[in-house]
Amino acid sequence: MSNEDNLSPHAQGLSLQLSSHFFGDLLDSIIVDVASECHRIARLGLDRNLEEEEEEMRLSAQARLRVADPSNSSEANGKYIVDIFGQNHPSVASEIFECMNCGRSVMAGKFAPHLEKCMGKGRKARLKVTRSSTAAQNRNSRGSPASAYSPYSNSTSSNRLSNGTSSVAGEEYSNGAFEDP
Amino acid sequence: MNPQLDENQGLLQLQLHHNLWAFVQLIESGEKERLMELLRERLIECGWKDEMKALCRQFVKKKGSNNVTVDDLIHVITPRGRASIPDSIKAELLQRIRTFLVSAAP
Repeated sequence: MSNEDNLSPHAQGLSLQLSSHFFGDLLDSIIVDVASECHRIARLGLDRNLEEEEEEMRLSAQARLRVADPSNSSEANGKYIVDIFGQNHPSVASEIFECMNCGRSVMAGKFAPHLEKCMGKGRKARLKVTRSSTAAQNRNSRGSPASAYSPYSNSTSSNRLSNGTSSVAGEEYSNGAFEDP
Repeated sequence: MNPQLDENQGLLQLQLHHNLWAFVQLIESGEKERLMELLRERLIECGWKDEMKALCRQFVKKKGSNNVTVDDLIHVITPRGRASIPDSIKAELLQRIRTFLVSAAP
């Protein structure tokens, strides 16, 4: 590999000196590069995030220690498992929010089963859908909305109501529940 | 070469010329670039660069980012930078340099 053995002591000494000198040269160049880079980062304000990163690195180093520590095993903690940041997570997610399909308040950990029922995947959900569509058909066949609060009632129909002879409003009004105006 | 020079001196001169030539070859052959890349890589791997950057950040915090010059930062990191090179890295680079020097022909 090296021909150095053929060199005289002088030459060997020289090559040692020279290589040290070259190494110093290389190192100084790299030092200038690093200083330039840091200068640029400082002047551009790119180091604002570095403190956060340092904090994160510190936290994750801490967390890694905790994971490595055998006294922190999940068995010791029973049902709750401790993650690398030392946080507990309950086995069922407990955040509550509104289902975007039906508007009910739902617990996050129970959302999937809720959606199954709510959107018609399960057996009961399909039955529920059938029932409500049948009810809609029945209402439509009477030819008028069954609700007393129908926005389409007008003075004509209320006149007929007072006579008790109208077939429009349905059974609820046949006993003259409305007073004469 | 002057034949009247003492033999040792003559040899010394010869070897100096040899090494100066090797210096030129070092640069022209691209070996200097390769060595620099190698050293850069090693210094990143071992965390030396991170340490230098941390020193710079400390300095910038104290002095204020608008008042810092490249020269400042060079002076900040040079002492520690030169002193904290791991021995193994220095040895590796020195060996490569010497190998190159010795094999470079005038």
